[in-house]
Amino acid sequence: MVDFDVIVVGGGHAGTEASALASRCGARTLLLTQNLETIGQMSCNPAIGGIAKGTVVREVDALGGIMGRATDLARIQFRMLNRSKGPAVWSPRAQCDRGLYRRAVRMLLEQHADLRFAQGTVSRFQFKDGRVTGVETLDGRQYRARAIVLTAGTFLRGRIHMGLETQIPAGRAGDSPSVELAQNLATYGLTVERFKTGTPPRIDGRSVRLDRLPRQDGDEDPYWFSYFGRVDHPKQMPCYLTTTGPELREIIERHLRESALYGGAISGRGPRYCPSIEDKIVRFPNAERHQVFLEPEGLDTHEMYVNGLSTSLPPHVQLEYLRSVSGLEQVEMTRPGYAIEYDYFPPTQLESTLQVKHVPGLFFAGQINGTTGYEEAAGQGVIAGINAAAHVFDRDPLVLRRDEAFIGVLIDDLVSRGVDEPYRLFTSRAEFRLLLRQDNALRRLLPTAERLGLLNESERGLAYGRLEAEEVILKRAQLTKILPIRVESLLERLGSAPIDEPVRIAELVRRPGLHLVDLFECLGERIDEATADWAEIEIKYSGYLERERDSANRLSRMNEFELPDWLNYPVLASLSYEAREKLNRVRPGNLGQAGRIPGVSPSDLQALVLEVMRGRPRREGACFT
Amino acid sequence: MLSDPIVALATPPGRSALAVVRVSGTGAFDVVAKVIVPPAGGPNWLGAIPRRATLGAFVAPDGRQIDRGIYIAFPGPHSYTGDDLIELTCHGGSVVPTQLMSALISAGARLAEPGEFTRRAVLNGKLDLVQAEAVGDLIDARAPAQATAALHQLEGGMSARIEELREQLMDVQSLLSYEVDFPEEDDPPIPRERIRSKIHGVTGVVTQLLATAPAGERLREGALVVLVGRPNVGKSSLFNALLGIERAIVTEVPGTTRDAIEAWTEFEGWPIRLADTAGLRVSEDPVEQLGIEVSRRYMHSAEVVLLCAEADRPLTAEEVEVVRTKEAVLARTKADQVAPSNETAIEGTLVSVVTGQGLAHVKALIVSRAYGAQNQGRYALDLEPVLLRERHRVALSHARDQLLEAGTFLAEEGDPVLAAHHVRGAMIALEEMIGIVDVEDLLDRIFRTFCVGK
Repeated sequence: MVDFDVIVVGGGHAGTEASALASRCGARTLLLTQNLETIGQMSCNPAIGGIAKGTVVREVDALGGIMGRATDLARIQFRMLNRSKGPAVWSPRAQCDRGLYRRAVRMLLEQHADLRFAQGTVSRFQFKDGRVTGVETLDGRQYRARAIVLTAGTFLRGRIHMGLETQIPAGRAGDSPSVELAQNLATYGLTVERFKTGTPPRIDGRSVRLDRLPRQDGDEDPYWFSYFGRVDHPKQMPCYLTTTGPELREIIERHLRESALYGGAISGRGPRYCPSIEDKIVRFPNAERHQVFLEPEGLDTHEMYVNGLSTSLPPHVQLEYLRSVSGLEQVEMTRPGYAIEYDYFPPTQLESTLQVKHVPGLFFAGQINGTTGYEEAAGQGVIAGINAAAHVFDRDPLVLRRDEAFIGVLIDDLVSRGVDEPYRLFTSRAEFRLLLRQDNALRRLLPTAERLGLLNESERGLAYGRLEAEEVILKRAQLTKILPIRVESLLERLGSAPIDEPVRIAELVRRPGLHLVDLFECLGERIDEATADWAEIEIKYSGYLERERDSANRLSRMNEFELPDWLNYPVLASLSYEAREKLNRVRPGNLGQAGRIPGVSPSDLQALVLEVMRGRPRREGACFT
Repeated sequence: MLSDPIVALATPPGRSALAVVRVSGTGAFDVVAKVIVPPAGGPNWLGAIPRRATLGAFVAPDGRQIDRGIYIAFPGPHSYTGDDLIELTCHGGSVVPTQLMSALISAGARLAEPGEFTRRAVLNGKLDLVQAEAVGDLIDARAPAQATAALHQLEGGMSARIEELREQLMDVQSLLSYEVDFPEEDDPPIPRERIRSKIHGVTGVVTQLLATAPAGERLREGALVVLVGRPNVGKSSLFNALLGIERAIVTEVPGTTRDAIEAWTEFEGWPIRLADTAGLRVSEDPVEQLGIEVSRRYMHSAEVVLLCAEADRPLTAEEVEVVRTKEAVLARTKADQVAPSNETAIEGTLVSVVTGQGLAHVKALIVSRAYGAQNQGRYALDLEPVLLRERHRVALSHARDQLLEAGTFLAEEGDPVLAAHHVRGAMIALEEMIGIVDVEDLLDRIFRTFCVGK
């Protein structure tokens, strides 16, 4: 019997962040996982970041998580997506070397003095008086703790499908599923549902005619996900592009009935935004071609990941359709793709803290909450880790607001709206996407990190140094005037009107196409681009940012209107039947959450406010009309 | 409390054959049960026979019978308010309805606030905000055209239009979101032209709706029609004749009318505010001078000027000027004194308050000037929705501003995020109009409407 404050079950992207954060909060933490060698494994595509997700990585980093640092250590290609669109939606994305990433995660975790590791398969949780007290492993070991974070990913009754014949119980190719724990959890009365997701085949890069395919290199600009130090990146590698054609369509149509998905073997729902190739063929019959990205798996391997061709067809069909793709005529498949079905717990069963409702001390994070994506998992892991520690030490839990972080949007969406397909973040899920940017994640979250004591001395120094450097650039842009002669050629090159008297840099940079880095360069000065982003965006978007902050403040007033536990939704006749049913199922914590539940109308909200007012103990003189 | 039983007399007080009393709210049926003696063999619970007229006795708390009448129960949510509602029809007059109301109040109902039934209908989602406003307009309508417009709005004409626009903006949002959230997909980026033309379409409809605002206001308030002319041309006589009552004093003395007199009427079903003014002339009399000043101001704000000039003389330069520059109807008065042979040469409509000649024609001309296009199909139910309230105009004009702003970011190099920001602004404006409101406003409204917490 070993004692801990917090036990994290699972070593994926949610589990590792939860472990790091619980231990940063001062909790004696145990990371318990089936296989210590696969901690930090990237189960699907070898890339971190992307639209909205890249911002989450930076938020995780600002709060002391490890994903950003691990990415910097493992990245073999970097691109800033949406560069041609507004800077509010620039999204960093990195291809990573799988092996380097895993080792980086392990190394970063090992730096936490209060974090211990153990290998084992949890078979059941232990409870006393309705509170969790520990876990027991299949081999009979017991670990005690006051809080548990479950991050089982796709492992709960995970089942891999390749065609109709092959069904393998597994959490991921090569790893066994958790069946006993799933059965144990089912006895607590939690609702369990099934989702499916898929992964594409992988191939030997030596068998690909790479010389005939368009090559996609990364950006040359230096960029680091982490705010805490600028490590050297490994050697950079390109991706390659190709497309499918009519031959692939013909092959898939011919074998469609053999697909696990279309042959009826899979019942769980999959994500619409990440369809399998058979889905694409069936749902978009007019699309002649589909894009395929060949992504390097790492520096020390020829293996490549075939992004865009995930599937549940049998392996021999996979090889057949792969060879129909331009450049892949002679391809050798190293691993077939597969679909995987797994248990998830509809997340409306959680509090905003990620604690399971009515089960003090039990927290859920990651894919078991119905999300997909490494970044979504990591964001939840951070919050679950912090709140597990808060539970142990009886501190206030952390709930990030929707205008404060994408992580706040993510968790609020999960607990107040629930999911009907695997949930992925998009910038359009945020009401205030101009405020939630990759360049200002540290600025948004440093106060929280400070309040909770998540950063060490050297990290704090780097964080404050970074913010100060950004502010200095802003101040200087506002104060410095630039002479016409200095910017003459720059303006001419951009087709921007010339100036005839000195103009402040902050004034000039508002023009489309002009950037602080270039303007300072006209003054003979090189400034750091990543540091300048924040100042530039603050200037270019200033009016908009103020308005968004205004509306955000208005929204937060709604969130401050709490909906008490005693509300008995089924009998509130002033609410629509649909609203009564939905509100009763979700039991939102505040009016803002109630308003985001589909089916709850503004008139329901208005009635709800009145019910709460009515039910409150009335003071002398209070009146209602 | 939110849905406590309320009671109100639905018909006007005073002598009448019948009166209707309405009770609504949670427990309304229990309240009414204490006042009703149902027919023998009828069920005790009123909600048991929904929406059927039943004859019963109405009794006071002491058991004394007040009246015998009809009652109809509407169990919620299938009622006007969405709560349980019951209508009792008793005999009219000043005694019976009052006694019935007191009996219901003793039984536990509370006298309703003005508009409370409708407010509950809104709270319960039976009506949206625009429709609730229309209920008030329908009740307050004084001319058939007003009632028609209000009914159209109540039936959801305007709400449906706004809802449709909102749907279209949702499409635009999804296109912009695709561009931002899904780069590097199979489908190429969406041509900006496609987004621009969608926004353009919505802006067009919003602009059309906004253009109805003056007409809507006119319909609500009545078009201001001002009689002007030289002294003693017979303005006041014509004014009285058009109203059908002796409203203004008429004498042989020029300059009798000193101040402007305004009266409400309707021509052919359209609401009209008719104003008689002092005759325009150079006067030494300070009182008359002030009156003439008032006349000019009225003329300035008139929707239609009814210029009066005797039929038997040529128009003065000043009168010609008025006809030329104003939305004017020219009435040639005292037509009964003109020889019939000269009639065709006279410009304007010949009118006579003595024979009644030309009055109907003048009314028709006024209506067509004041209500022009709307008058085309008369006031049929397919009347286009018009903006009847300032609140609607403000919301739509904000929506239009936002859409125009959005358009500026849809050039090829424009920032789709800012375009989306403005489209969202436009959507919110539309939502606020039909009452899908921001909760901040909602809270404000609640705190304004209800006295809570102290």
